[in-house]
Amino acid sequence: MPRTARVILVLSLLFVAFSSLVFSPVLAQKKSQPVPVIKVEVADFTGGTRLKITAGSNLNYSLRKSGNVLTVSFRTSSGLRYDRTPFSSRLVQSIDLAKSPEAFLLLIKTSTADFSYTQSARWNPFELTIELKGVEEKKAPAEPRPAAPEKPAATQVQTQPTPVAEQAGPPTSGGKKQVKTIVIDPGHGGNETGAKGTYGTLEKDVTLAVSRKLKEAIERGLKYRVVMTREADLSVPLERRAAIANNNKADLFISIHVNGSRRVKANGSETFFLSLNATDEESRRLAYFENNSEELENRVPEKDFDDLKLILWDMAQSAYLKQSSQLAEFVQQELNELLNTRNRGVKQAPFKVLTGAACPAILVEVAFITNPEEEKQLQSEDFQARVAEAIYRGLNRFLQLYEKP
Amino acid sequence: MKRKKKKLTTLFILLGVLAVVVLVFFFGGRREKIKHQAGPAVSATGSGQVQGVKTKRVTIFFLSESDNLLHPEEREIRAGTLNEEARAVVEEIIKGSRSGLLNTVPETTRPRQVFVTSDGTAYVDLSRQILEASYYGSSGEMAAVYSIVNSLTYNFKSIKRVSLLVEGNERETLGGHIDLSRPFNPDYSLVAR
Repeated sequence: MPRTARVILVLSLLFVAFSSLVFSPVLAQKKSQPVPVIKVEVADFTGGTRLKITAGSNLNYSLRKSGNVLTVSFRTSSGLRYDRTPFSSRLVQSIDLAKSPEAFLLLIKTSTADFSYTQSARWNPFELTIELKGVEEKKAPAEPRPAAPEKPAATQVQTQPTPVAEQAGPPTSGGKKQVKTIVIDPGHGGNETGAKGTYGTLEKDVTLAVSRKLKEAIERGLKYRVVMTREADLSVPLERRAAIANNNKADLFISIHVNGSRRVKANGSETFFLSLNATDEESRRLAYFENNSEELENRVPEKDFDDLKLILWDMAQSAYLKQSSQLAEFVQQELNELLNTRNRGVKQAPFKVLTGAACPAILVEVAFITNPEEEKQLQSEDFQARVAEAIYRGLNRFLQLYEKP
Repeated sequence: MKRKKKKLTTLFILLGVLAVVVLVFFFGGRREKIKHQAGPAVSATGSGQVQGVKTKRVTIFFLSESDNLLHPEEREIRAGTLNEEARAVVEEIIKGSRSGLLNTVPETTRPRQVFVTSDGTAYVDLSRQILEASYYGSSGEMAAVYSIVNSLTYNFKSIKRVSLLVEGNERETLGGHIDLSRPFNPDYSLVAR
């Protein structure tokens, strides 16, 4: 073989090797797993809406309802595409596909948070049928406030009344938003007892007693409607509690809890508002890393901005964090003033019950039922009345601040 | 004769190149997945040999009686794949403290499955006993959740967040407070300095 021919052969083989290196991942992916495409058919029927979701291959899915969004999560490694077709429906407003770190999410946004759903699935070919049924409520206004505002910017909310509130709300002076309804949420209930004290006191009983006293205090002192998420010893799902607040167009949401810990010594009162699991914790985490170890540097999670947006969109409460923190501050100050319990301060945590509330919302943790001394206090009528009075004073200060024109 | 030998060598080289080409073509696309399954190699600093079994030193967070914070406790676990090591860490959390710190989860809990996805989410599936604690106020629940979350993220670089499941299913909360429907990022503000 002539020398030049050999060189050309080697070079061409090297070229093939190189190009296959570059293209093989693409080719391999395409060959092994075609990206499934999902299609959604939407059809209204009397009293509800039927969604038929079809895909080219079988998919693992799970459903979750949060406010007025029904999320279908598909766990698939091969990617997913959504073939959008236009539709019109009374109940379903929009359908979008989003990606979370662990799944593809089909977000079905409805006009009301008050709906129930049933589902059935068929395989080969994959077909998931979901039926949404609106829940008729006598008192509920025709169009409840949307549970997931699309522009969750904390600064906008103060000045901008939501359009829905303007339409359906009673006439207000100059279209300014006014506080009308306060929703009190007595923590736990029914077979869900909450924390237990050493003397057998149950969190659910104390929270209901305090809530009743708070309701009386508000009705005595202010011209506001008070709605309780439970009036008796009943089990109410957490999402339902936020839905009750939104359907009643609550202007404030106060969840009352009693704390518990493995630490018997743990004591004091604290007030929470929602944390978004990323914002300020990110900075606290960074502070911790800086002070502790150099090898932790590469452990800081790179937070995907799209994920963050999705989280914000999914949580109605994210639009009200600024006001919620203000409300928490006032209530905590009054608790310190009136109760003589240790000041544990205002804190943030990802509380389920707060995520869906579309208004300023706080969760009060009064004393520790797992601390025998505080448990005794929590049993006493006098202490309960002082807790109610402190929360009442705190929210009253908040209302005065926001009532000013 | 010499010429023939040279020709043969060239042929072998060409065959070798071809073999590489073929191998790369078929397996090139899977490199990423393989890398992840292998998990992190046992680090030189945090490993040792105990009775011929390769071990790895890990830090577990428990609750302290003196403050409301999580405190570290060092342990040796058997070295293995990422999933095995993550499971061992969860088992150590359930077994509880040896230095007088407080356990954060009921000791009767069993880890059903622990696995880490390629995007860095650790799924920790626990038996229903995790729900049976009388001390699940907000503080108790925070301690339970974040002792697991922080212990896993602290020890394994490839675990970025942790999702908790109970009996194989998603749950709203453990005891009515902390939202379990989203994966948790670590929160080291709950850890003692």
